[in-house]
Amino acid sequence: MMKRKRDRLEVIYDILKIIRHYNNSIKPTPLLRYSNLSSQSFSEYISELLDKGFIKEIIDEKGRKFFTLTDKGFEYLEKYKLIIGFIDEFEL
Amino acid sequence: MPPFHLIDPTRLAVELVYTLIVVFLCFTIYYKTREIFGLTKHEGIKYFRITFLFFGLAYISRFISVLLKLMVVTFDIYFPIHIFGIFPLVFIGYFSTMAILSLTYSILWKKLHIKHTFLKHTFLLFNVIAVLISGIAFYSRSAFILTLAQAILLIFTSIIIVHYIFSNSRKISRLYILYILFFLFWIINLFALSPRRLLPFEIQTVFQVISIAVIGIIYYKVAKWT
Repeated sequence: MMKRKRDRLEVIYDILKIIRHYNNSIKPTPLLRYSNLSSQSFSEYISELLDKGFIKEIIDEKGRKFFTLTDKGFEYLEKYKLIIGFIDEFEL
Repeated sequence: MPPFHLIDPTRLAVELVYTLIVVFLCFTIYYKTREIFGLTKHEGIKYFRITFLFFGLAYISRFISVLLKLMVVTFDIYFPIHIFGIFPLVFIGYFSTMAILSLTYSILWKKLHIKHTFLKHTFLLFNVIAVLISGIAFYSRSAFILTLAQAILLIFTSIIIVHYIFSNSRKISRLYILYILFFLFWIINLFALSPRRLLPFEIQTVFQVISIAVIGIIYYKVAKWT
């Protein structure tokens, strides 16, 4: 069976959920792997999430890069079902 | 022959209450959806919420114009025609055209498969159409022309909605019927701006009550998710 294409809001939800699942701290490479995106799409989504303030980049003392959720990112995860419910209700 | 629009306290009270309820519901829908729009920047949500902002503004303009009309005729006040004409025709025409186009677009934007670069110009295009319709009405100084222009716009948008919905799912949802009714009652409301009363006051009041019920249902659906 062919998998349906995820829409933008669903992809954002999946990325944020992965970060939360890994104790709110994950390196870019595993995040790319778990998110099932091409590297180009992944970069675009990460840039968008950083711009919107859903995630932030943290660099530890060894110079390793991690992504963590911001309060806005947690809020998106909490409200996701309501957002999708609203979009479906009004067929937007 | 007595003038058609003397200030009738009952009529004024009905218009005021009707306007307050509709404007309250429209602005509350706009306010309640700000959070989910802020989180998603979703194109459909954006146009859905500005629909109600524009409709709220259109209803306020409509009330002011009804009030002005009643005052001018009742008290035989001299009012420069260019100022008197601006309110009912330009503002109402602009706000309501923007609202009709925005709601139609919020339903169709996904189905139209519009390229991302064009999405940025949509709002500008709607503004051009709205200014054009209100401009035509302003120069003709005729509420009838405005009603006619909006009726044509309503028929045009309804055909587009029905065409796209049928080509995709072959099913018209109750939501679209609500939207069409909402538009239709708006057009009926414009009759109140005509120099002669086209609809008896009682019939118009019945339509106003039904239109409150329609927007009340939309508000209820919004409140469920926000």
